[in-house]
Amino acid sequence: MKRYKNSLYILAMCGSMVACKPHIEEPSIDKGSLDVSKYVAVGNSITSGYADNALYYDGQKVSYPNLISQQFAKIGGGEFKQPLVDQTSVGIGASGGARLVLAPHTDCLGSTSLAPVPAAPAGDLTIFGSNIYATQGPFNNMGVPGAKSITTIYPGYGNPANGPGNYNPFFTRMASNPTSTSMLADAMALQPTFFTLFIGSNDVLLYALSGATTDAITPSAGAPGVGFDASMDLIVSTLISGGAKGAIANVPDITSIPYFTTVPYNGLVLTSQLQVDGLNAAYSPLGITFHLGQNAFIIEDAAAPGGKRQITSSEYVLLSVPQDSLKCKQWGSVKAIPNAYVLTASEISDIRTAVAGYNTKIKSLATANGLAFVDVNKFLTMTETGVTYNGINLSTTFVSGGAFSLDGVHLTPIGNAMLANEFIKAINSTYHSTLPLVDATKYSGVKFP
Amino acid sequence: MKHLMSIICIVSPVLLFAQGFQVNLQGQKQQAMGGAGAGTNLDAAAVFFNPGGVAHLEQNSVSAGVSLTAESTTFQDNNSQQQYHTKSPISTPFTGYGVWGPAESKFKFGMGIYTPFGSTIKYEDGWSGRFALTQMKLMSVFFQPTVSYKISDKLGVGAGFVYGYGNIDLSKDLPISNSNGDYASANLKGTAGGMGYNLGILYKPIEKLSIGLSYRSQVNMKVNKGTATFNVPPSLASSFPSGNFSSSLPLPQVITLGFGYSVSERLLLAFDVNYIGWSSYKTLSFDYEQNTSSLKDTESPRNYKDSYALRLGAQYKVSDKFMARLGTNYEKSPIKNGYVTPEVPDADRLNFTGGIGYKPCDKLVIDASFSYINFMKRTDTNTETNLSGTYKTRILVPGISLTYNFN
Repeated sequence: MKRYKNSLYILAMCGSMVACKPHIEEPSIDKGSLDVSKYVAVGNSITSGYADNALYYDGQKVSYPNLISQQFAKIGGGEFKQPLVDQTSVGIGASGGARLVLAPHTDCLGSTSLAPVPAAPAGDLTIFGSNIYATQGPFNNMGVPGAKSITTIYPGYGNPANGPGNYNPFFTRMASNPTSTSMLADAMALQPTFFTLFIGSNDVLLYALSGATTDAITPSAGAPGVGFDASMDLIVSTLISGGAKGAIANVPDITSIPYFTTVPYNGLVLTSQLQVDGLNAAYSPLGITFHLGQNAFIIEDAAAPGGKRQITSSEYVLLSVPQDSLKCKQWGSVKAIPNAYVLTASEISDIRTAVAGYNTKIKSLATANGLAFVDVNKFLTMTETGVTYNGINLSTTFVSGGAFSLDGVHLTPIGNAMLANEFIKAINSTYHSTLPLVDATKYSGVKFP
Repeated sequence: MKHLMSIICIVSPVLLFAQGFQVNLQGQKQQAMGGAGAGTNLDAAAVFFNPGGVAHLEQNSVSAGVSLTAESTTFQDNNSQQQYHTKSPISTPFTGYGVWGPAESKFKFGMGIYTPFGSTIKYEDGWSGRFALTQMKLMSVFFQPTVSYKISDKLGVGAGFVYGYGNIDLSKDLPISNSNGDYASANLKGTAGGMGYNLGILYKPIEKLSIGLSYRSQVNMKVNKGTATFNVPPSLASSFPSGNFSSSLPLPQVITLGFGYSVSERLLLAFDVNYIGWSSYKTLSFDYEQNTSSLKDTESPRNYKDSYALRLGAQYKVSDKFMARLGTNYEKSPIKNGYVTPEVPDADRLNFTGGIGYKPCDKLVIDASFSYINFMKRTDTNTETNLSGTYKTRILVPGISLTYNFN
């Protein structure tokens, strides 16, 4: 017994030595000139937490505004309400599908590999089935998938009576009054003391995602609701009208988005001379020749002789292109890849011009109104080559890069955390606050089965 | 005493880091005196501190000692300002010495078993640096047969051959999420071996003063058949094949100049300067036997620089049976800015030590020491991982040894 007591004594001594932790003075958190008691986030799908091609609960929980609000809580931030969907729901995307997950997928050639596949045959339509404003609102997260600058100010943006395509069901479910209110009006109804505004991507991106077939690029000029500049002027002047401070983010260039950069332009791999000879015979009238190995895909182009040509290295085949058609239906070789899956050089040039114009406007709005300016474009451009955060390498590479979710456009949880930190850095720098950054290591990347 | 030893056996014999991952716990008397011991010749631990002194030891003896080291680090992440703590298990560096020679002979033979390098560190779950490291145990045990020759009453030389045995066990998280959003992890384990030597010379120009110079060579510890285990999502198992790896770690050379000065019959002062050749530690590499596109060999820069330590100690003879000891030392970190890693959250250190010796009878000596190892607060951003934060580490080391003298 005595022996046992001695042992316990020694163990207790060891334990107590471990218990006294070395002390590091915790820095005080200064809120600077910020008042974040009422924070409202205005934006599109990225702001809403949309990811993996759908709005779903886990994505919403890690939306960048929600992560920012958790840091704001350290300096007097209030409750941050989001129009959450059911936790068990497979979610719903802009085209009605369920969220994507990585799963083994057997292609037309019979080979199985991991690929993004819908988690269910269809999206969860009950999400659009009822308006949740009365039970869960009003909402601090006014991020609406699909929203543009011009639609942010549009009254009745959630009005089903406008007919399909002319209203936004994501807004219908959360609007205070879908038939008459606008995103901006609902945001202002909260009387924000602080706002983040990340809008404008869809004014050009929806056009780009469609392979430049639908959703014309919003022109810079034009009245509010028509042109980008005047719409943004109205949005910002309204948001600051009650004395609120805020942060405004610019629009990323498409080259940093995996949706555009994942499928290689020269992905037509010919392995037999027979294939080469066949294609050379078929395309000799158009002056196109093929060789063993990698070849540029054949794409539709109305302006080209015969309506087809080879894609160039500076053009994009979109992630939406059906892979089985490329592999088994001779798309990109015998059959040209349809226009909806391709961005040509002139389309890319239009997109770039629009992005550059928008970003000039956004920067000038930030400067003129003393708002924090979040250079999302620069941040994503840096991420193209890879950034290392606490031993984690993140890049804009599809799936393996870890930052972009399975739709190739929206972010993973850790991608959202990194974006939230860009906002916080800009806010700290503008408003002389010392808000800590989000610990991004707590958030996952692409999930592997 | 038996009780204490029984506890120690329960605790795994792993070590802590000190100055890099050098462990300066090779003798309780010397530990209590700030770690100085190359110029004094107090006991059989001279096998380690200065083999040149072994031939001058008055008695043959065997001794065994152990130190309980409790490492504690607080890390504050520069980005999130969150603090994390280590939950390191207690490690137990140990020593065993034997010295023997006929009284009339000018030769004495010695054997030392000691643990000159090691580290045991475990961070709390979910800490923000877990993609750099979650836990590491690094242990080395050196076996050193030694011969020492008394050239004259004033001068002795000695040499030992060193065989080093070591093992390493480290884990970290991998930035790959499974279907629950949890991150994957990797564990690397292996044993290592290496050889070296230990030379020393001890000179007593006058009765009151002794001067020692010792040189411990670099020992390259090579891991040849380590085992790498990956805990990754099942769909990626083939990309991260568990299997063998090789690696190596240079344990640096140490040159020590030491002085011992007897102020009076009762008071002895000791002063050592160590120069440690850490600049040989340039990279930490892991070479996997089976590479895949996801599992590539790694080479992480360490780029240590040579460093030094200053050690000052005193021993006061209270009575024939009791000794009291005090000491302090300053250890300069070998790690440059930009290269601090969670494996060794190193910084310059100012340490304080103390201890007692008790001699219940002529043949038996009990020595105990206590070291307070105090790292300066250090803020760094690692160039490889970008992990950025402030580290503050403290280690408390109580230790005890038993010596049996015979002739």
